[in-house]
Amino acid sequence: MTLKECYAALNGDYEEAMGWLRSERLVQKFVLKFLDDGSFDLLCRSMESGDQPEAFRAAHTIKGVCANMAFSALLKSSSQLTELLRGGDMGDQAQELFERVKADYARTAQAIQAFREEAGG
Amino acid sequence: MKNKTTRFLLTSLIGVALLCVCVFGVFAVHMGNQSAVTINQVGTLYMSSMSQQTSVHFESIIGIQMNQLRALVGTIPSDAIHEDKTLQQQLMAQAKARDFEYLGFYGSDGSFEMLYGSQLTVTDPKPFLDSLNKNQEKVAIGTNAQGQKVVLLGMPSPHPPTPEHDCAALVAGLPVSYISDNLSLEENSERAYSFIIRRDGSFVIRSNNAYRNNYFERVRVLYEDVNGLTAEEYLEELNAAMVEGIDYSNEFTMGGERYHLYCTHLPYSEWFLLTFLPYGSMDSIVTGFSHEWSSLTILSGTIILTALLLVFYKYYGLTRKQLREVEEARQAAEAAQKEAEHANRAKSEFLSNMSHDIRTPMNAIVGMTAIATANIDDTQQVHNCLKKIALSSKHLLGLINDVLDMSKIENGKMTLNMDQVSLREVTDSIVAICQPQVKAKNQQFDVFIHDISTENVLCDSVRLNQVLLNLLSNAIKFTPEGGEIHMALFEEASPKGDGFVRIHIEVRDTGIGMSQDFQKHIFDSFAREDSARVHRTEGTGLGMAITKYIVVDAMGGTIEMDSKQGRGTRFSVTLDLEKAQVMEEDMVLPNWNMLVVDDDRQLCESTVSALGSIGISAEWTLDGESAVDMVVKRRRRGDDYQIILLDWKLPGMDGIATARSIRQELGDKVPILLISAYDWGEIEGKAKEAGITGFISKPLFKSTLFNSLRQFAQPLQEGEKPPEQKGPDLRGRRVLVAEDNELNWEIASELLSAEGLELTWAENGQTCVEMFEQSPVGYFEAILMDIRMPVMGGYEATQVIRTLERPDKDLPIIAMTADAFAEDVKRSLDCGMDAHIAKPIDVQEVLRLLDKYLK
Repeated sequence: MTLKECYAALNGDYEEAMGWLRSERLVQKFVLKFLDDGSFDLLCRSMESGDQPEAFRAAHTIKGVCANMAFSALLKSSSQLTELLRGGDMGDQAQELFERVKADYARTAQAIQAFREEAGG
Repeated sequence: MKNKTTRFLLTSLIGVALLCVCVFGVFAVHMGNQSAVTINQVGTLYMSSMSQQTSVHFESIIGIQMNQLRALVGTIPSDAIHEDKTLQQQLMAQAKARDFEYLGFYGSDGSFEMLYGSQLTVTDPKPFLDSLNKNQEKVAIGTNAQGQKVVLLGMPSPHPPTPEHDCAALVAGLPVSYISDNLSLEENSERAYSFIIRRDGSFVIRSNNAYRNNYFERVRVLYEDVNGLTAEEYLEELNAAMVEGIDYSNEFTMGGERYHLYCTHLPYSEWFLLTFLPYGSMDSIVTGFSHEWSSLTILSGTIILTALLLVFYKYYGLTRKQLREVEEARQAAEAAQKEAEHANRAKSEFLSNMSHDIRTPMNAIVGMTAIATANIDDTQQVHNCLKKIALSSKHLLGLINDVLDMSKIENGKMTLNMDQVSLREVTDSIVAICQPQVKAKNQQFDVFIHDISTENVLCDSVRLNQVLLNLLSNAIKFTPEGGEIHMALFEEASPKGDGFVRIHIEVRDTGIGMSQDFQKHIFDSFAREDSARVHRTEGTGLGMAITKYIVVDAMGGTIEMDSKQGRGTRFSVTLDLEKAQVMEEDMVLPNWNMLVVDDDRQLCESTVSALGSIGISAEWTLDGESAVDMVVKRRRRGDDYQIILLDWKLPGMDGIATARSIRQELGDKVPILLISAYDWGEIEGKAKEAGITGFISKPLFKSTLFNSLRQFAQPLQEGEKPPEQKGPDLRGRRVLVAEDNELNWEIASELLSAEGLELTWAENGQTCVEMFEQSPVGYFEAILMDIRMPVMGGYEATQVIRTLERPDKDLPIIAMTADAFAEDVKRSLDCGMDAHIAKPIDVQEVLRLLDKYLK
């Protein structure tokens, strides 16, 4: 699996990522590091405990990282969640969006996992 | 109002004048009457006294004679007898001594016995005799033997000396002249004169001019008027007065002259003295006085009237002047009001136009948004809606810009931002903007330039663009599908001098044109021809007003227009622009042989000349067929064209077909470039297939040609990448990065370290502040600050740093966050940050900002 295929699998924009990060080496480096980032865990924890400020910050961080990485699908859902949380909304709509973020994250993580195994293996 | 006052003035003037005339007239008449009365009174007074005097005088002269006679009678002794000759001698002697001309005895029967003098006859013996018989002294008139009148004085004698006659009295005679001389009855005719008459009107003594024997007859014949009475009435009155023995006075007219008459009884007699006074002299004096008085009255009346007239005239003039002033003021006020109303109406129209014009795109935006919301999952539909929203927004923006321009113009705040402008760039961009619209309406669009000697001029490029865009978009808008739009640009020497160049811009279309009526208003605000044809055409109606302002008022140029309904419209703009004082690039290319193919002869010639100026020898032809022929001929001569410029739209064989034929002849080596004013996106594939090497967009400026052809002079090496865009050199600069997310930090670190920056990581705002505080002054030169961080956010951290007591507390702090809303940017700046960058991190942008603030 190539990095490009990985981007396609996680619904990202490889060209855009190349545009921002300027080299395949860097893109690959950060893609591989993405799974180590604790923001998603923080988001999950905060959503469960109902800690709105922390949840907002975590979603915001995910949004920022995804923007840099051009993970389009996850960027979209996390952005929407960020805006909801910014307004202090932790209700059903936020939960629903959170589920979508989780789904997008899972898909992203799966794709990266697959790429990592191939690259590492 | 004016007429009313004038009428009032005239009426009062006439009224006062009439009053004056009346008053003075009555005055004059009264004075005239009064003078007549006065004359009468004076006459009566004078006459009565004169008559009395005459009467007294008469009495005295008669009295003297009577006394003489009485003395004579006294000498007759009581026993005298008639025959006493001695007595007779004595009486005669004494009488002669007393100047009596006649003397005799008068018998009681009326017989005379003359002592001396001729025989006398008493004219009217009866009353004489009666009186004498009654022993009264009496005077009477008689005649002598010669018929001459004699005044007889009768003195009753107590001793009648006549035997045969009963002697009544001694009568002495005197000539009439005695009385008339003594009484001076014959006065100068100018003055008074008198008659003495008897009761029956017969004259006793009369003046010369009264030749009749009887006064009454004279009255009947001569008197014309006696103070309103007829002659008979007057005589009756006179008779009555005579009978009663009272004085009588009256006036009469005779021979055209007025006389006063006075009648009084004379003593000793039955006689009446009639005295006449002609008014002549007195009248003339009194009348003269009265005339003088009247003249004075009339004169004073006239003076007063004149004064009044003068006052009225002055007042009238004053009133007129005031009226005029009032009228002027009223007119001014009216004009001002009209102007205000006009402005108000214009404003209302403006608002109503605006609200209508704004509503249209707003409706589209609102409606499309609703449709998009309803069909949020239908990507195609949403896409379509967004496209329409974008279009309407653009229109709205254009509208607002126009209105802003208009208000700038109206406030006189539109100023030109003069800068160096490349005509090529301006036309290129205009053509690029218009191409999609032209394509959408399937119109023929052609841009043509010639004689452009100066490409760079000083002008406001934005405004110049606006003018061209307005003219072109109008042409496109009002030209139906398949119509033609033609834009031409050329230069000539400017009358303003060598430093200037005159630029002509002409935009021509075959559109619907404008009515004569509308052409007059085309440059007015909100002018849109209101007819069925243009009913649906959008626009603010401000475009031409703005265009005119920019061209004429701001740039000092001219704009002309020529339009016929149904035929099309042509706008010509002329501008005198200053030549830009820049060294134009030295544009020289190898001495190629080129062929230019275009159906427009002028374009061919102009292009060939432009090519010549950059060192290229070119030939031209007007159609594809001849082009192929020329290429073939050259090929045979072994002197191929090195580059061929080919118009796309050609009569007969079009550009692409021609290219295909030429390729067959020449092979692939010779570049063939397609000239076109159109967007070639559509034909690109077909063109490439036909062997077209590239495109040159019209208009063909010298620089356009140079830039397009330059590549063929130094062909790019295969595989060489375009030179990397070199950012500013920031190597060795120390930057503190506050970022809570490790991944984001690593990304930033990787990207910026590659540019030579030395980065230090702070995990949150708190750490960032601490690290900055502990660093030596001036160590960190800038901070890149994330906003959303645990412990302390970017806003707070910035605020803390800005309040630190360090000389470098004002170092550049740039926000770097995933939030890109306008309020976030504003909040960043409010907190004291210098700039704001949205994630994802764009290295070039970061470097640019750092470079900007580190300087």
